[in-house]
Amino acid sequence: MKYLLAILFFGALVAIYIVLYLMNKKTPRPEGCEDLKADCDGCKDYACTNNPAHNQVKGE
Amino acid sequence: MGELMALLVTSVLVNNVILTQFLGMCPFMGVSKKKSSAIGMGVAVVFVIVVAALVTYALYYLVLVPLQLEFMDLITFILVIASLVQLTEMFIKKTSPALYKSLGVYLPLITTNCVVLNVCLVNISNSYNFAQMLVYSIGTPLGFALVLFIFSTIRERLEQSEVPNAFVGNPIALIVAAIMAMAFSCFTGIV
Repeated sequence: MKYLLAILFFGALVAIYIVLYLMNKKTPRPEGCEDLKADCDGCKDYACTNNPAHNQVKGE
Repeated sequence: MGELMALLVTSVLVNNVILTQFLGMCPFMGVSKKKSSAIGMGVAVVFVIVVAALVTYALYYLVLVPLQLEFMDLITFILVIASLVQLTEMFIKKTSPALYKSLGVYLPLITTNCVVLNVCLVNISNSYNFAQMLVYSIGTPLGFALVLFIFSTIRERLEQSEVPNAFVGNPIALIVAAIMAMAFSCFTGIV
């Protein structure tokens, strides 16, 4: 019973996250904020979508 | 009251989350090149940590403990923080464009900031009461924001200084961070 509760609780949390993620994605950005960029070029985490490396043209 | 003040000073200065616990190093190095970015990130971290700590604390004692699911604290806190960041971003998008302009870019980055998870877990593992939890959850991100701001002002000065080629960029920043860590270690013992 305890583990079933744990699985249900975990499932509920994941569902809440997915719903909030989709709602956030659908919410339009305010005017003037469409092209905001983070000044985090000191960070070497290239997996992060905010990393400026993603905005560079190949061969640059 | 004295105990709470001691906890505040400890969390801001003595046990500074960046310089003594080495957490949150990614934003510390990544978002400290400009003063304005450091202030934006600092404010966003303070906001998210306080909200995340309140929610996770309530969830732990009102849901996990009664259901005997304490072993799920880590996964629960990770998902709660990720959800909270989405919710906060959506809320700010709809209500305050000006605030979104200054914090919006940094909100998704906070999901991966281990300081947030650390505060939530320490609140539970140290069995803090509500007042202690609140003070610790405000003090820790304040310490983070303070160090980030000081570090960004130093890095702005470094940009205008003549630094040997081999040390330009992150190497000199790491040396500055090491000196700052030594300076902050002097706070040990004041409380």
